[in-house]
Amino acid sequence: MATSSLPVRKRLFRAEHAPQIAVLFVLGLVCLITIYPFLWLIFSSFKTNKDIITPPIQLLPREWTTSAYRLVWTNANMPRAIANSLLVSGVIVLSVMFTSALGGFVFARLKFPGKNVLFIFILSTTMIPFMTLLIPLYLVMRELDVLDTYIAVVLPALISSFGIFLCRQFVYGIPGELFDAAKLDGAGDFRTFITIALPLMRPVLSALAIFTFLGAFNGYLWPLVVLNNPDLYTLPLVLAGLSGASGTVNYEAVMAGSVISTIPMLIVYLLFQRNFVRGVALSGIKG
Amino acid sequence: MSTPGALPLTDNKPRAFPGRRAFRGTSPLAVVFSVVLLAFYSTTFLIPFGVGIWLSFQNWDFIVDPKYVGWRNYERALNDPYFWDAVKKSVIFSIGEISIALCLTLILAFILSRLKSVPQRLLLGLFYLPVITPSVVTVLLWRWLYLPTNGGFNAALSRFGFPTQGFMNDSQQALWCIVAMVVWANFGVGTVLYLAGINEIPDSITEAATLDGANSLQLFFGIILPLLRPIIFFNVVVSIIATVQMFEQFYLISGPGNSTRTLAVYTYELGFRSVDLGYGAAVSMLMFIGLLGVTIIQFWRFRSAVD
Repeated sequence: MATSSLPVRKRLFRAEHAPQIAVLFVLGLVCLITIYPFLWLIFSSFKTNKDIITPPIQLLPREWTTSAYRLVWTNANMPRAIANSLLVSGVIVLSVMFTSALGGFVFARLKFPGKNVLFIFILSTTMIPFMTLLIPLYLVMRELDVLDTYIAVVLPALISSFGIFLCRQFVYGIPGELFDAAKLDGAGDFRTFITIALPLMRPVLSALAIFTFLGAFNGYLWPLVVLNNPDLYTLPLVLAGLSGASGTVNYEAVMAGSVISTIPMLIVYLLFQRNFVRGVALSGIKG
Repeated sequence: MSTPGALPLTDNKPRAFPGRRAFRGTSPLAVVFSVVLLAFYSTTFLIPFGVGIWLSFQNWDFIVDPKYVGWRNYERALNDPYFWDAVKKSVIFSIGEISIALCLTLILAFILSRLKSVPQRLLLGLFYLPVITPSVVTVLLWRWLYLPTNGGFNAALSRFGFPTQGFMNDSQQALWCIVAMVVWANFGVGTVLYLAGINEIPDSITEAATLDGANSLQLFFGIILPLLRPIIFFNVVVSIIATVQMFEQFYLISGPGNSTRTLAVYTYELGFRSVDLGYGAAVSMLMFIGLLGVTIIQFWRFRSAVD
Protein backbone atom coordinates (compact mmCIF):
# COMPACT_ATOMS: atom_id res chain seq x y z
CA MET A 1 0.00 0.00 0.00
CA ALA A 2 2.76 2.40 0.99
CA THR A 3 4.07 3.24 -2.46
CA SER A 4 1.27 2.02 -4.70
CA SER A 5 -1.17 4.39 -3.07
CA LEU A 6 0.67 7.42 -4.40
CA PRO A 7 -1.16 9.27 -7.14
CA VAL A 8 -0.19 8.03 -10.58
CA ARG A 9 1.25 11.28 -11.80
CA LYS A 10 3.97 11.39 -9.11
CA ARG A 11 5.70 8.21 -10.29
CA LEU A 12 7.78 9.87 -12.95
CA PHE A 13 10.61 7.40 -13.44
CA ARG A 14 8.89 4.02 -13.46
CA ALA A 15 7.30 1.78 -16.05
CA GLU A 16 4.38 4.23 -15.90
CA HIS A 17 6.57 6.55 -17.92
CA ALA A 18 4.96 5.31 -21.14
CA PRO A 19 1.46 6.72 -20.55
CA GLN A 20 2.95 10.15 -19.82
CA ILE A 21 4.82 10.14 -23.10
CA ALA A 22 1.65 9.05 -24.85
CA VAL A 23 -0.26 11.91 -23.21
CA LEU A 24 2.34 14.46 -24.25
CA PHE A 25 2.31 13.04 -27.77
CA VAL A 26 -1.49 13.29 -28.01
CA LEU A 27 -1.51 16.86 -26.67
CA GLY A 28 1.30 17.89 -29.01
CA LEU A 29 -0.43 16.38 -32.00
CA VAL A 30 -3.75 18.04 -31.21
CA CYS A 31 -2.03 21.40 -30.73
CA LEU A 32 -0.25 21.00 -34.06
CA ILE A 33 -3.45 20.08 -35.88
CA THR A 34 -5.25 23.01 -34.26
CA ILE A 35 -2.60 25.53 -35.25
CA TYR A 36 -1.60 24.22 -38.69
CA PRO A 37 -4.56 25.67 -40.68
CA PHE A 38 -4.22 29.03 -38.92
CA LEU A 39 -0.53 29.26 -39.85
CA TRP A 40 -1.39 28.81 -43.51
CA LEU A 41 -4.21 31.32 -43.20
CA ILE A 42 -2.06 34.05 -41.69
CA PHE A 43 1.03 33.58 -43.85
CA SER A 44 -0.96 33.15 -47.06
CA SER A 45 -2.76 36.43 -46.45
CA PHE A 46 0.62 38.15 -46.91
CA LYS A 47 1.31 36.42 -50.22
CA THR A 48 0.30 37.23 -53.76
CA ASN A 49 -2.12 34.90 -55.50
CA LYS A 50 0.68 33.58 -57.69
CA ASP A 51 2.82 32.87 -54.65
CA ILE A 52 -0.02 30.90 -53.01
CA ILE A 53 -0.58 28.48 -55.89
CA THR A 54 2.90 28.16 -57.42
CA PRO A 55 4.59 24.85 -56.58
CA PRO A 56 6.51 23.99 -54.54
CA ILE A 57 4.01 25.19 -51.95
CA GLN A 58 5.71 26.83 -49.00
CA LEU A 59 4.34 28.18 -45.75
CA LEU A 60 6.25 31.47 -45.60
CA PRO A 61 5.68 34.09 -48.29
CA ARG A 62 8.45 34.32 -50.89
CA GLU A 63 7.82 38.04 -50.80
CA TRP A 64 5.83 39.71 -48.04
CA THR A 65 3.06 41.96 -49.31
CA THR A 66 -0.13 43.55 -48.00
CA SER A 67 -1.63 43.82 -51.47
CA ALA A 68 -4.34 41.27 -50.61
CA TYR A 69 -5.54 43.37 -47.68
CA ARG A 70 -5.62 46.51 -49.78
CA LEU A 71 -7.48 44.62 -52.49
CA VAL A 72 -10.29 43.30 -50.28
CA TRP A 73 -10.56 46.53 -48.34
CA THR A 74 -11.10 48.68 -51.42
CA ASN A 75 -12.61 46.34 -54.01
CA ALA A 76 -14.69 43.88 -52.04
CA ASN A 77 -16.87 46.27 -50.05
CA MET A 78 -15.32 44.90 -46.87
CA PRO A 79 -15.89 48.00 -44.66
CA ARG A 80 -19.58 48.07 -45.56
CA ALA A 81 -19.87 44.33 -44.89
CA ILE A 82 -18.28 44.74 -41.45
CA ALA A 83 -20.68 47.60 -40.66
CA ASN A 84 -23.64 45.47 -41.83
CA SER A 85 -22.55 42.51 -39.74
CA LEU A 86 -21.96 44.63 -36.64
CA LEU A 87 -25.33 46.33 -37.03
CA VAL A 88 -27.24 43.09 -37.55
CA SER A 89 -25.53 41.21 -34.73
CA GLY A 90 -25.69 44.24 -32.43
CA VAL A 91 -29.46 44.53 -32.81
CA ILE A 92 -29.91 40.77 -32.32
CA VAL A 93 -27.69 40.65 -29.22
CA LEU A 94 -29.42 43.62 -27.53
CA SER A 95 -32.86 42.27 -28.30
CA VAL A 96 -32.06 38.73 -27.16
CA MET A 97 -30.46 39.95 -23.92
CA PHE A 98 -33.41 42.17 -23.01
CA THR A 99 -36.17 39.71 -23.97
CA SER A 100 -34.38 36.75 -22.36
CA ALA A 101 -33.83 38.61 -19.10
CA LEU A 102 -37.40 39.89 -19.03
CA GLY A 103 -38.73 36.47 -20.04
CA GLY A 104 -36.70 34.77 -17.35
CA PHE A 105 -38.09 37.17 -14.75
CA VAL A 106 -41.68 36.96 -15.99
CA PHE A 107 -41.78 33.17 -16.14
CA ALA A 108 -39.96 32.63 -12.86
CA ARG A 109 -41.57 35.32 -10.70
CA LEU A 110 -44.91 36.56 -12.05
CA LYS A 111 -48.35 34.99 -12.06
CA PHE A 112 -50.57 35.09 -15.09
CA PRO A 113 -53.06 32.73 -16.72
CA GLY A 114 -51.65 30.40 -19.36
CA LYS A 115 -48.09 30.80 -18.07
CA ASN A 116 -47.16 27.12 -18.17
CA VAL A 117 -48.78 26.53 -21.55
CA LEU A 118 -46.95 29.51 -23.02
CA PHE A 119 -43.62 28.39 -21.58
CA ILE A 120 -43.96 24.84 -22.87
CA PHE A 121 -44.97 26.22 -26.26
CA ILE A 122 -41.81 28.38 -26.34
CA LEU A 123 -39.63 25.40 -25.43
CA SER A 124 -41.29 23.20 -28.04
CA THR A 125 -40.33 25.62 -30.82
CA THR A 126 -36.71 24.59 -30.31
CA MET A 127 -37.66 21.12 -31.55
CA ILE A 128 -38.35 22.43 -35.04
CA PRO A 129 -35.14 22.49 -37.07
CA PHE A 130 -34.39 25.75 -38.85
CA MET A 131 -34.02 23.86 -42.15
CA THR A 132 -37.70 22.87 -41.89
CA LEU A 133 -38.73 26.49 -41.48
CA LEU A 134 -36.36 27.84 -44.13
CA ILE A 135 -38.65 27.84 -47.19
CA PRO A 136 -41.90 28.83 -45.40
CA LEU A 137 -40.11 31.50 -43.34
CA TYR A 138 -38.82 32.96 -46.59
CA LEU A 139 -42.42 33.03 -47.87
CA VAL A 140 -43.58 34.79 -44.68
CA MET A 141 -40.87 37.44 -45.13
CA ARG A 142 -42.02 37.81 -48.73
CA GLU A 143 -45.62 38.33 -47.55
CA LEU A 144 -44.44 40.90 -45.00
CA ASP A 145 -42.60 42.61 -47.84
CA VAL A 146 -39.32 42.80 -45.92
CA LEU A 147 -37.14 40.65 -48.21
CA ASP A 148 -33.80 42.25 -49.00
CA THR A 149 -33.82 44.42 -45.85
CA TYR A 150 -32.01 44.28 -42.52
CA ILE A 151 -35.40 43.55 -40.91
CA ALA A 152 -35.64 40.18 -42.64
CA VAL A 153 -32.13 39.28 -41.48
CA VAL A 154 -32.72 40.05 -37.80
CA LEU A 155 -36.42 39.27 -37.33
CA PRO A 156 -36.29 35.48 -36.72
CA ALA A 157 -33.45 35.92 -34.21
CA LEU A 158 -34.85 38.73 -32.05
CA ILE A 159 -36.09 36.41 -29.28
CA SER A 160 -34.32 33.26 -28.16
CA SER A 161 -36.24 30.39 -26.55
CA PHE A 162 -33.02 29.06 -25.19
CA GLY A 163 -32.15 32.45 -23.70
CA ILE A 164 -35.52 32.69 -21.92
CA PHE A 165 -35.10 29.16 -20.58
CA LEU A 166 -31.57 29.88 -19.35
CA CYS A 167 -32.59 33.13 -17.60
CA ARG A 168 -35.66 31.52 -16.03
CA GLN A 169 -33.50 28.84 -14.43
CA PHE A 170 -31.19 31.57 -13.21
CA VAL A 171 -33.97 33.71 -11.67
CA TYR A 172 -35.29 30.64 -9.82
CA GLY A 173 -31.93 30.55 -8.07
CA ILE A 174 -32.30 34.10 -6.74
CA PRO A 175 -33.69 34.19 -3.15
CA GLY A 176 -37.34 35.26 -3.20
CA GLU A 177 -36.86 37.60 -0.24
CA LEU A 178 -35.02 40.05 -2.47
CA PHE A 179 -38.10 40.43 -4.66
CA ASP A 180 -40.50 40.51 -1.72
CA ALA A 181 -38.51 43.37 -0.19
CA ALA A 182 -38.81 45.39 -3.39
CA LYS A 183 -42.54 44.71 -3.50
CA LEU A 184 -42.95 45.92 0.09
CA ASP A 185 -41.19 49.11 -0.92
CA GLY A 186 -43.94 49.60 -3.46
CA ALA A 187 -41.91 48.84 -6.61
CA GLY A 188 -43.90 47.65 -9.63
CA ASP A 189 -42.99 44.50 -11.54
CA PHE A 190 -40.99 46.29 -14.18
CA ARG A 191 -39.04 48.29 -11.61
CA THR A 192 -38.34 45.13 -9.64
CA PHE A 193 -37.04 43.57 -12.83
CA ILE A 194 -34.78 46.52 -13.66
CA THR A 195 -33.44 47.18 -10.17
CA ILE A 196 -33.29 43.69 -8.61
CA ALA A 197 -33.27 40.95 -11.26
CA LEU A 198 -31.30 42.55 -14.08
CA PRO A 199 -28.13 43.40 -12.11
CA LEU A 200 -28.05 39.92 -10.57
CA MET A 201 -28.38 38.28 -13.99
CA ARG A 202 -25.18 39.77 -15.31
CA PRO A 203 -23.15 36.51 -15.46
CA VAL A 204 -25.78 34.54 -17.35
CA LEU A 205 -26.53 37.48 -19.64
CA SER A 206 -22.89 38.02 -20.59
CA ALA A 207 -22.50 34.36 -21.52
CA LEU A 208 -25.72 34.52 -23.52
CA ALA A 209 -24.61 37.72 -25.25
CA ILE A 210 -21.37 36.16 -26.44
CA PHE A 211 -23.04 33.09 -27.90
CA THR A 212 -25.72 35.14 -29.54
CA PHE A 213 -23.07 37.40 -31.04
CA LEU A 214 -21.09 34.42 -32.36
CA GLY A 215 -24.16 32.95 -34.00
CA ALA A 216 -25.43 36.23 -35.44
CA PHE A 217 -22.05 37.39 -36.73
CA ASN A 218 -21.30 34.05 -38.39
CA GLY A 219 -24.75 33.37 -39.83
CA TYR A 220 -24.58 32.49 -43.52
CA LEU A 221 -27.65 30.59 -44.72
CA TRP A 222 -30.42 32.97 -43.64
CA PRO A 223 -28.77 36.18 -44.95
CA LEU A 224 -27.97 34.27 -48.16
CA VAL A 225 -31.64 33.45 -48.60
CA VAL A 226 -33.18 36.85 -47.80
CA LEU A 227 -30.57 39.30 -49.15
CA ASN A 228 -30.07 40.22 -52.79
CA ASN A 229 -28.61 43.70 -52.60
CA PRO A 230 -24.78 43.40 -52.27
CA ASP A 231 -24.76 46.63 -50.24
CA LEU A 232 -26.59 44.84 -47.43
CA TYR A 233 -24.41 41.72 -47.50
CA THR A 234 -23.01 40.60 -44.17
CA LEU A 235 -19.36 39.58 -43.81
CA PRO A 236 -19.82 35.82 -44.39
CA LEU A 237 -21.70 36.53 -47.63
CA VAL A 238 -19.03 38.89 -48.94
CA LEU A 239 -16.34 36.43 -47.93
CA ALA A 240 -18.02 33.51 -49.66
CA GLY A 241 -18.45 35.78 -52.70
CA LEU A 242 -14.66 36.34 -52.81
CA SER A 243 -14.08 32.66 -53.38
CA GLY A 244 -15.88 33.20 -56.67
CA ALA A 245 -18.43 31.03 -58.34
CA SER A 246 -16.60 31.55 -61.63
CA GLY A 247 -13.97 28.83 -61.23
CA THR A 248 -10.81 30.85 -60.77
CA VAL A 249 -10.42 31.58 -57.11
CA ASN A 250 -8.59 34.62 -55.88
CA TYR A 251 -6.91 32.96 -52.91
CA GLU A 252 -5.05 36.00 -51.67
CA ALA A 253 -8.36 37.85 -51.33
CA VAL A 254 -9.99 34.88 -49.59
CA MET A 255 -7.13 34.60 -47.10
CA ALA A 256 -6.95 38.32 -46.29
CA GLY A 257 -10.75 38.54 -46.08
CA SER A 258 -10.78 35.55 -43.75
CA VAL A 259 -8.24 37.14 -41.43
CA ILE A 260 -10.29 40.35 -41.36
CA SER A 261 -13.50 38.40 -40.63
CA THR A 262 -11.92 36.48 -37.79
CA ILE A 263 -10.51 39.54 -36.00
CA PRO A 264 -13.83 40.78 -34.49
CA MET A 265 -14.47 37.28 -33.13
CA LEU A 266 -10.97 37.10 -31.73
CA ILE A 267 -11.36 40.45 -29.95
CA VAL A 268 -14.65 39.40 -28.37
CA TYR A 269 -13.12 36.07 -27.40
CA LEU A 270 -10.02 37.55 -25.78
CA LEU A 271 -12.09 40.14 -23.89
CA PHE A 272 -14.60 37.63 -22.53
CA GLN A 273 -12.65 34.38 -22.44
CA ARG A 274 -13.88 33.42 -18.98
CA ASN A 275 -17.49 33.96 -19.93
CA PHE A 276 -16.99 31.85 -23.04
CA VAL A 277 -15.88 28.86 -21.05
CA ARG A 278 -18.61 29.36 -18.48
CA GLY A 279 -21.14 29.78 -21.25
CA VAL A 280 -20.21 26.48 -22.86
CA ALA A 281 -20.34 24.74 -19.52
CA LEU A 282 -23.72 26.34 -18.94
CA SER A 283 -25.27 25.50 -22.24
CA GLY A 284 -23.21 23.08 -24.28
CA ILE A 285 -24.33 24.94 -27.34
CA LYS A 286 -22.29 26.89 -29.78
CA GLY A 287 -23.97 29.98 -31.26
CA MET B 1 -33.09 14.13 -17.82
CA SER B 2 -31.97 13.81 -14.25
CA THR B 3 -29.45 16.63 -14.35
CA PRO B 4 -28.61 17.73 -10.84
CA GLY B 5 -30.39 20.92 -9.95
CA ALA B 6 -32.85 20.63 -12.83
CA LEU B 7 -36.03 22.50 -12.13
CA PRO B 8 -39.51 21.30 -12.97
CA LEU B 9 -40.80 22.76 -16.22
CA THR B 10 -44.07 23.77 -14.62
CA ASP B 11 -44.93 24.68 -11.08
CA ASN B 12 -47.65 22.29 -10.05
CA LYS B 13 -49.30 24.50 -7.51
CA PRO B 14 -52.99 23.80 -7.07
CA ARG B 15 -55.08 26.47 -8.74
CA ALA B 16 -56.53 28.47 -5.89
CA PHE B 17 -58.74 30.72 -7.97
CA PRO B 18 -60.52 28.87 -10.73
CA GLY B 19 -62.44 30.61 -13.48
CA ARG B 20 -62.43 34.37 -13.81
CA ARG B 21 -60.73 34.79 -10.49
CA ALA B 22 -57.65 33.16 -12.02
CA PHE B 23 -56.85 36.61 -13.33
CA ARG B 24 -56.49 37.95 -9.78
CA GLY B 25 -52.90 39.04 -9.21
CA THR B 26 -52.12 38.97 -12.92
CA SER B 27 -49.27 41.32 -13.67
CA PRO B 28 -49.80 43.81 -16.53
CA LEU B 29 -46.13 43.41 -17.43
CA ALA B 30 -46.63 39.66 -17.90
CA VAL B 31 -49.65 40.27 -20.13
CA VAL B 32 -47.79 42.74 -22.35
CA PHE B 33 -44.80 40.42 -22.59
CA SER B 34 -47.01 37.43 -23.39
CA VAL B 35 -48.60 39.34 -26.26
CA VAL B 36 -45.14 40.21 -27.63
CA LEU B 37 -44.07 36.56 -27.33
CA LEU B 38 -47.21 35.31 -29.05
CA ALA B 39 -46.76 37.78 -31.89
CA PHE B 40 -43.11 36.83 -32.34
CA TYR B 41 -43.55 33.07 -32.17
CA SER B 42 -46.57 33.21 -34.45
CA THR B 43 -44.60 35.07 -37.10
CA THR B 44 -41.40 33.07 -36.93
CA PHE B 45 -42.56 29.56 -35.91
CA LEU B 46 -46.27 28.86 -35.85
CA ILE B 47 -47.24 30.43 -39.17
CA PRO B 48 -44.13 29.24 -41.05
CA PHE B 49 -44.62 25.73 -39.67
CA GLY B 50 -48.26 25.76 -40.77
CA VAL B 51 -47.28 27.20 -44.15
CA GLY B 52 -44.64 24.47 -44.42
CA ILE B 53 -47.20 21.72 -43.84
CA TRP B 54 -49.62 23.32 -46.32
CA LEU B 55 -46.84 23.85 -48.84
CA SER B 56 -45.74 20.23 -48.68
CA PHE B 57 -49.11 19.28 -50.22
CA GLN B 58 -48.82 21.81 -53.04
CA ASN B 59 -46.94 22.24 -56.26
CA TRP B 60 -45.54 25.74 -56.52
CA ASP B 61 -42.75 27.37 -58.52
CA PHE B 62 -43.63 31.09 -57.97
CA ILE B 63 -44.75 31.30 -61.62
CA VAL B 64 -48.06 29.41 -61.63
CA ASP B 65 -50.37 29.54 -58.60
CA PRO B 66 -49.93 26.80 -55.97
CA LYS B 67 -51.83 23.62 -56.83
CA TYR B 68 -52.95 20.96 -54.34
CA VAL B 69 -51.34 17.60 -55.14
CA GLY B 70 -52.20 15.52 -52.07
CA TRP B 71 -49.50 13.22 -50.80
CA ARG B 72 -47.67 13.25 -54.12
CA ASN B 73 -44.66 15.23 -52.85
CA TYR B 74 -44.14 12.71 -50.06
CA GLU B 75 -44.52 9.76 -52.43
CA ARG B 76 -42.06 11.44 -54.74
CA ALA B 77 -39.52 11.80 -51.91
CA LEU B 78 -39.82 8.15 -50.93
CA ASN B 79 -39.11 7.14 -54.55
CA ASP B 80 -36.44 9.76 -55.15
CA PRO B 81 -32.92 8.24 -55.24
CA TYR B 82 -31.41 11.70 -54.65
CA PHE B 83 -33.48 12.08 -51.48
CA TRP B 84 -32.33 8.74 -50.09
CA ASP B 85 -28.77 9.49 -51.10
CA ALA B 86 -28.99 12.81 -49.22
CA VAL B 87 -30.43 10.99 -46.18
CA LYS B 88 -27.54 8.55 -46.34
CA LYS B 89 -24.97 11.36 -46.55
CA SER B 90 -26.56 13.21 -43.61
CA VAL B 91 -26.64 10.06 -41.47
CA ILE B 92 -23.05 9.03 -42.27
CA PHE B 93 -21.82 12.56 -41.68
CA SER B 94 -23.70 12.94 -38.42
CA ILE B 95 -22.69 9.57 -36.95
CA GLY B 96 -19.10 9.94 -38.18
CA GLU B 97 -18.63 13.45 -36.86
CA ILE B 98 -20.30 12.81 -33.51
CA SER B 99 -18.49 9.55 -32.73
CA ILE B 100 -15.04 10.83 -33.71
CA ALA B 101 -15.60 14.08 -31.83
CA LEU B 102 -16.93 12.21 -28.79
CA CYS B 103 -13.85 9.97 -28.47
CA LEU B 104 -11.45 12.85 -29.09
CA THR B 105 -13.10 15.32 -26.72
CA LEU B 106 -13.52 12.80 -23.88
CA ILE B 107 -9.83 11.85 -24.07
CA LEU B 108 -8.75 15.48 -24.25
CA ALA B 109 -11.01 16.52 -21.38
CA PHE B 110 -9.66 13.67 -19.23
CA ILE B 111 -6.06 14.57 -20.02
CA LEU B 112 -6.69 18.28 -19.39
CA SER B 113 -8.38 17.51 -16.08
CA ARG B 114 -5.13 15.91 -14.84
CA LEU B 115 -3.10 19.03 -15.70
CA LYS B 116 -2.39 22.00 -13.50
CA SER B 117 -4.63 25.01 -13.96
CA VAL B 118 -2.29 27.21 -16.03
CA PRO B 119 -1.44 24.73 -18.83
CA GLN B 120 -5.07 23.60 -18.69
CA ARG B 121 -6.34 27.11 -19.34
CA LEU B 122 -3.80 27.79 -22.08
CA LEU B 123 -4.57 24.57 -23.95
CA LEU B 124 -8.30 25.12 -23.57
CA GLY B 125 -7.90 28.62 -24.99
CA LEU B 126 -6.01 27.19 -27.96
CA PHE B 127 -8.52 24.39 -28.60
CA TYR B 128 -11.29 26.96 -28.57
CA LEU B 129 -9.82 29.07 -31.37
CA PRO B 130 -11.38 27.00 -34.20
CA VAL B 131 -14.77 27.33 -32.48
CA ILE B 132 -14.73 31.11 -32.61
CA THR B 133 -13.48 31.15 -36.20
CA PRO B 134 -16.45 32.01 -38.45
CA SER B 135 -17.66 28.86 -40.18
CA VAL B 136 -17.35 30.42 -43.63
CA VAL B 137 -13.68 31.19 -42.90
CA THR B 138 -13.12 27.59 -41.79
CA VAL B 139 -14.71 26.21 -44.93
CA LEU B 140 -12.85 28.49 -47.35
CA LEU B 141 -9.54 27.86 -45.58
CA TRP B 142 -9.97 24.08 -45.57
CA ARG B 143 -11.13 24.13 -49.16
CA TRP B 144 -7.74 25.50 -50.05
CA LEU B 145 -5.87 23.15 -47.67
CA TYR B 146 -7.61 20.22 -49.39
CA LEU B 147 -6.63 21.27 -52.94
CA PRO B 148 -5.07 18.18 -54.56
CA THR B 149 -2.23 19.86 -56.45
CA ASN B 150 -1.18 22.89 -54.44
CA GLY B 151 -3.06 22.68 -51.15
CA GLY B 152 -1.55 22.86 -47.68
CA PHE B 153 -2.25 19.25 -46.67
CA ASN B 154 -0.68 17.64 -49.71
CA ALA B 155 2.29 19.98 -49.29
CA ALA B 156 2.85 18.50 -45.83
CA LEU B 157 2.20 14.91 -46.97
CA SER B 158 4.68 15.08 -49.84
CA ARG B 159 7.31 16.80 -47.67
CA PHE B 160 7.27 13.83 -45.29
CA GLY B 161 7.21 11.29 -48.09
CA PHE B 162 3.56 10.25 -47.86
CA PRO B 163 1.49 9.78 -51.03
CA THR B 164 -0.64 12.81 -51.84
CA GLN B 165 -4.42 12.46 -51.61
CA GLY B 166 -7.35 13.51 -53.77
CA PHE B 167 -9.28 14.87 -50.75
CA MET B 168 -12.35 16.78 -51.97
CA ASN B 169 -11.80 15.66 -55.57
CA ASP B 170 -12.10 12.02 -54.56
CA SER B 171 -15.75 11.04 -54.16
CA GLN B 172 -14.75 8.34 -51.63
CA GLN B 173 -12.89 10.80 -49.41
CA ALA B 174 -14.92 13.98 -49.82
CA LEU B 175 -17.52 13.38 -47.11
CA TRP B 176 -14.85 12.28 -44.61
CA CYS B 177 -12.83 15.38 -45.42
CA ILE B 178 -15.81 17.44 -44.30
CA VAL B 179 -16.13 15.26 -41.19
CA ALA B 180 -12.49 16.05 -40.34
CA MET B 181 -13.04 19.75 -40.96
CA VAL B 182 -16.12 19.91 -38.71
CA VAL B 183 -14.42 17.89 -35.97
CA TRP B 184 -11.55 20.39 -36.10
CA ALA B 185 -13.95 23.32 -35.98
CA ASN B 186 -16.01 22.09 -33.02
CA PHE B 187 -13.93 19.84 -30.77
CA GLY B 188 -13.31 22.76 -28.42
CA VAL B 189 -16.99 22.81 -27.42
CA GLY B 190 -17.09 19.18 -26.32
CA THR B 191 -13.73 19.45 -24.58
CA VAL B 192 -14.84 22.44 -22.50
CA LEU B 193 -18.16 20.80 -21.74
CA TYR B 194 -16.71 17.47 -20.59
CA LEU B 195 -13.88 19.15 -18.70
CA ALA B 196 -16.48 21.18 -16.78
CA GLY B 197 -18.29 17.91 -16.08
CA ILE B 198 -15.13 16.17 -14.82
CA ASN B 199 -14.28 19.17 -12.63
CA GLU B 200 -17.73 18.89 -11.02
CA ILE B 201 -16.95 15.37 -9.83
CA PRO B 202 -16.00 15.66 -6.13
CA ASP B 203 -12.29 15.02 -5.47
CA SER B 204 -13.24 12.57 -2.73
CA ILE B 205 -14.63 10.13 -5.31
CA THR B 206 -11.58 10.12 -7.58
CA GLU B 207 -9.22 10.05 -4.59
CA ALA B 208 -11.02 7.07 -3.10
CA ALA B 209 -10.69 5.21 -6.40
CA THR B 210 -6.99 6.06 -6.62
CA LEU B 211 -6.46 4.88 -3.04
CA ASP B 212 -8.10 1.60 -3.97
CA GLY B 213 -5.38 1.21 -6.60
CA ALA B 214 -7.31 2.24 -9.70
CA ASN B 215 -5.07 3.38 -12.53
CA SER B 216 -5.91 6.18 -14.97
CA LEU B 217 -7.77 3.91 -17.37
CA GLN B 218 -9.87 2.35 -14.62
CA LEU B 219 -10.56 5.81 -13.22
CA PHE B 220 -11.71 6.99 -16.65
CA PHE B 221 -13.92 4.03 -17.56
CA GLY B 222 -15.10 3.13 -14.07
CA ILE B 223 -15.77 6.52 -12.49
CA ILE B 224 -15.62 9.45 -14.88
CA LEU B 225 -17.39 8.04 -17.92
CA PRO B 226 -20.49 6.82 -16.02
CA LEU B 227 -20.75 10.13 -14.15
CA LEU B 228 -20.51 12.10 -17.40
CA ARG B 229 -23.35 10.16 -19.01
CA PRO B 230 -26.03 12.86 -18.67
CA ILE B 231 -23.73 15.49 -20.21
CA ILE B 232 -22.65 13.14 -23.02
CA PHE B 233 -26.27 12.31 -23.74
CA PHE B 234 -27.28 15.97 -23.81
CA ASN B 235 -24.36 16.89 -26.08
CA VAL B 236 -25.04 14.02 -28.50
CA VAL B 237 -28.69 15.02 -28.91
CA VAL B 238 -27.75 18.65 -29.51
CA SER B 239 -25.01 17.56 -31.94
CA ILE B 240 -27.35 15.37 -33.99
CA ILE B 241 -29.70 18.28 -34.56
CA ALA B 242 -26.79 20.64 -35.30
CA THR B 243 -24.84 18.38 -37.68
CA VAL B 244 -27.85 17.41 -39.78
CA GLN B 245 -28.60 21.10 -40.33
CA MET B 246 -25.06 22.17 -41.26
CA PHE B 247 -25.15 24.00 -44.54
CA GLU B 248 -22.18 26.13 -45.58
CA GLN B 249 -19.87 23.28 -44.55
CA PHE B 250 -21.20 21.44 -47.61
CA TYR B 251 -22.48 24.22 -49.83
CA LEU B 252 -19.15 26.05 -50.10
CA ILE B 253 -16.84 23.02 -50.40
CA SER B 254 -18.80 20.36 -52.25
CA GLY B 255 -17.17 17.17 -53.49
CA PRO B 256 -17.75 15.65 -56.94
CA GLY B 257 -21.34 14.85 -57.95
CA ASN B 258 -23.64 13.97 -55.07
CA SER B 259 -20.79 12.83 -52.83
CA THR B 260 -21.41 15.53 -50.22
CA ARG B 261 -25.03 16.53 -50.87
CA THR B 262 -26.80 16.22 -47.52
CA LEU B 263 -30.46 16.77 -46.70
CA ALA B 264 -29.81 20.38 -45.69
CA VAL B 265 -28.16 21.19 -49.03
CA TYR B 266 -30.84 19.27 -50.93
CA THR B 267 -33.60 21.25 -49.17
CA TYR B 268 -31.90 24.53 -50.03
CA GLU B 269 -31.39 23.52 -53.65
CA LEU B 270 -34.99 22.42 -54.05
CA GLY B 271 -36.33 25.62 -52.53
CA PHE B 272 -34.00 28.25 -53.95
CA ARG B 273 -32.33 26.69 -57.00
CA SER B 274 -34.97 24.53 -58.70
CA VAL B 275 -37.72 26.61 -56.99
CA ASP B 276 -39.67 23.40 -56.36
CA LEU B 277 -41.18 24.85 -53.19
CA GLY B 278 -43.75 22.16 -52.44
CA TYR B 279 -41.30 19.30 -52.82
CA GLY B 280 -38.64 21.18 -50.87
CA ALA B 281 -41.13 21.71 -48.03
CA ALA B 282 -42.04 17.99 -48.07
CA VAL B 283 -38.36 16.99 -47.87
CA SER B 284 -37.77 19.39 -44.98
CA MET B 285 -40.87 18.03 -43.18
CA LEU B 286 -39.47 14.50 -43.51
CA MET B 287 -36.23 15.84 -42.04
CA PHE B 288 -38.16 17.27 -39.07
CA ILE B 289 -39.97 13.96 -38.51
CA GLY B 290 -36.72 12.05 -38.72
CA LEU B 291 -34.93 14.32 -36.25
CA LEU B 292 -37.89 14.26 -33.88
CA GLY B 293 -37.92 10.46 -34.02
CA VAL B 294 -34.20 10.21 -33.32
CA THR B 295 -34.50 12.63 -30.39
CA ILE B 296 -37.44 10.75 -28.87
CA ILE B 297 -35.66 7.39 -29.23
CA GLN B 298 -32.55 8.87 -27.62
CA PHE B 299 -34.54 10.22 -24.67
CA TRP B 300 -36.37 6.92 -24.29
CA ARG B 301 -33.15 4.90 -24.40
CA PHE B 302 -31.47 7.25 -21.96
CA ARG B 303 -34.36 7.09 -19.52
CA SER B 304 -34.57 3.29 -19.60
CA ALA B 305 -30.79 3.09 -19.15
CA VAL B 306 -30.92 5.32 -16.07
CA ASP B 307 -33.86 3.54 -14.40
